[in-house]
Amino acid sequence: MSFLRLCVSASRRVVSRTQAVGSVFSGSSRSASGALKDQEPLKKAKTPQGRFDAAEKSGDVLEKFPDDVNPKTKEKGGPRGPEPTRYGDWERKGRCVDF
Amino acid sequence: MATVRAASRLLSKRVLANMKAVPAAAVQGSRNFHFSIYGKKKSAKVADDISTQYPVVDHEFDAVVVGAGGAGLRAAFGLSEAGFNTACVTKLFPTRSHTVAAQGGINAALGNMEEDDWRWHFYDTVKGSDWLGDQDAIHYMTEQAPAAVVELENFGMPFSRTEEGKIYQRAFGGQSLKYGKGGQAHRCCCVADRTGHSLLHTLYGRSLRYDTSYFVEYFALDLLMENGECKGVIALCMEDGSIHRFRAQNTVIATGGYGRTYFSCTSAHTSTGDGNAMVTRAGLPCQDLEFVQFHPTGIYGAGCLITEGCRGEGGILINSEGERFMERYAPNAKDLASRDVVSRSMTIEIREGRGVGPDKDHVYLQLHHLPPQQLATRLPGISETAMIFAGVDVTKEPIPVLPTVHYNMGGIPTNYKGQVIDHINGKDKVIPGLYACGEAACASVHGANRLGANSLLDLVVFGRACALTIAEEHKPGEKLSPLKPSAGEESVANLDKLRFANGNLRTSEIRLNMQKTMQNHAAVFRTGSVLKEGCDKMADVYQSMEKIKTFDRGIVWNTDLVESLELQNLMLNAVQTINGAEQRKESRGAHAREDFKDRIDEYDYSKPLEGQQKKPFEQHWRKHTMSYVDPKTGKVTLRYRPVIDSSLNEQDCAHVPPAIRSY
Repeated sequence: MSFLRLCVSASRRVVSRTQAVGSVFSGSSRSASGALKDQEPLKKAKTPQGRFDAAEKSGDVLEKFPDDVNPKTKEKGGPRGPEPTRYGDWERKGRCVDF
Repeated sequence: MATVRAASRLLSKRVLANMKAVPAAAVQGSRNFHFSIYGKKKSAKVADDISTQYPVVDHEFDAVVVGAGGAGLRAAFGLSEAGFNTACVTKLFPTRSHTVAAQGGINAALGNMEEDDWRWHFYDTVKGSDWLGDQDAIHYMTEQAPAAVVELENFGMPFSRTEEGKIYQRAFGGQSLKYGKGGQAHRCCCVADRTGHSLLHTLYGRSLRYDTSYFVEYFALDLLMENGECKGVIALCMEDGSIHRFRAQNTVIATGGYGRTYFSCTSAHTSTGDGNAMVTRAGLPCQDLEFVQFHPTGIYGAGCLITEGCRGEGGILINSEGERFMERYAPNAKDLASRDVVSRSMTIEIREGRGVGPDKDHVYLQLHHLPPQQLATRLPGISETAMIFAGVDVTKEPIPVLPTVHYNMGGIPTNYKGQVIDHINGKDKVIPGLYACGEAACASVHGANRLGANSLLDLVVFGRACALTIAEEHKPGEKLSPLKPSAGEESVANLDKLRFANGNLRTSEIRLNMQKTMQNHAAVFRTGSVLKEGCDKMADVYQSMEKIKTFDRGIVWNTDLVESLELQNLMLNAVQTINGAEQRKESRGAHAREDFKDRIDEYDYSKPLEGQQKKPFEQHWRKHTMSYVDPKTGKVTLRYRPVIDSSLNEQDCAHVPPAIRSY
């Protein structure tokens, strides 16, 4: 029993020592990097997979029509956004693709 | 070289489709030469008739299609459907061909929005071509158009629909009703904003149903010609550097255009006119290469076009002095003048030294004087486009622009069936065994100017036409005509010469010289002195190809070598374009000259015809240019061929007599 208690107390002391050591180290790193570790979680590297964790990007400039039906011309499955041929050429996002 | 010799030694042991492990000692550390055939298992034989340094493999097919864009794929699976053993040789994966970038629509007189007739589409196309288009080919294309679009739709292409479920058609591309008298026609079908992409993927998916053998990333070097007949193609496999000879009774060329001869173009880097050059080296002509379609505002460096709507919404073009120069050239219309006037004005400003940038070779399109809200509502997405392609914030800085090449109306001359022709002793002569379709061919449906949304139609109709013609005249499994065993050795010698080239000019330097010369001399602004100077400069650049230096001596995926081969092809196209432009002393369609501002036809169509003398063939310009080049010297010879003025069936569809083209 006493042996066990000795062991427990020894391990506790070891744990506490490692904890103390840990706190010393983390304390030093905290002071080194300042507020960074406190306020923001670790950022994922800019990998293709990491992009999925980023906030949802704002939608495309050309919004989809409800049900994909253009309300003015009743065209189903047509080009999004304003009419591409309104200036005489086929325009999309400021680029002319056919004329 | 040691690795190549090891490879040829391996080949002589006939180690082919079954990849048996070769003892390491025999291989001497080189990669095993591995060759496998997909599709029908016809044995491919190794040949050492033309080279013992390069592994050469011979194939036999019923038909070979060079190029796998819209036209090439349609021809390839059309032939496979008819039972021919077809090979499709392409330097790009099929879905990477430039057809994928065609986001406009496809014209067809389906009559879904209003009553329509293909004869009115025929009239519009003939007028748009400035009466240089062959009316039988245009008749064929516009009559087949509804059937072609319905066939595409049956293949699964997701066209946009009306409420009733019919294909939705919009107004685009100079189309009218009742031969120009009935107002705007709605003929352009589209798939959201990615028609070309969808077309290519639909055709590729459909082609996988048939057992066409695809040879992807094989760069076609030359045609195998014997006695004026085309007997196949010789190609370089880019992956392992082996040479492949494809023997076939029928060869179809569908390699696309050659936008990359100019400094600023919308085409991909792979649009290098390989088909035109192969035909030129075979001693055959190319037709109407001087007709190149330009757009005034293409982003400098990137080549994307900025819509005319920018100028419509109030954008202005300014030169290095900050002056709105269009006021001088078109006092009333100013920046809203027609495209060719704007292009020419921009070029004149640049030539006179008022260009912007370090090379003073472009102008600015200014939009930041407009309220940003207006830009965002009227032209959504333009700030994104400007930032991605030009790196400018459109609300603060102007966009650098210059006239940009978009399409090549000229190409390999064919008749309406897709057979390649030559004009000898005043008559059209069909070259047996050779066909062409797509932008590489000149049928000629676009004539001097292409109408919008007609190009995708051209691809599918003539791709199908080539397949139908071949199916009519030949049978699958026909015995191949004999071919000299040494066919193709010049191509291999040229390849070898380029691979070990050790001059003092890099490929990229020569290419830039050619592109700058073409952009400065053979672009929108064409006059006699400028063109003559350009012809001389191009001749010098052509000669400078002798001093080319390549760096990669390897044989596996040697892009330096392939780019040099492409440069040779571009050079042949460029010299023909500029020489053809210099000789054509008139203005017609896309070829506009400052010193000869009018069209010169056999009659003066602006006045009544009675009492007019018909000009002889040599004195008027309503004729096709046929250009031949001597590849060694770069000298261009020009001949002329009359335009075909009769339609295929005069009772069904009368031809359109020439008139003044005004809209």
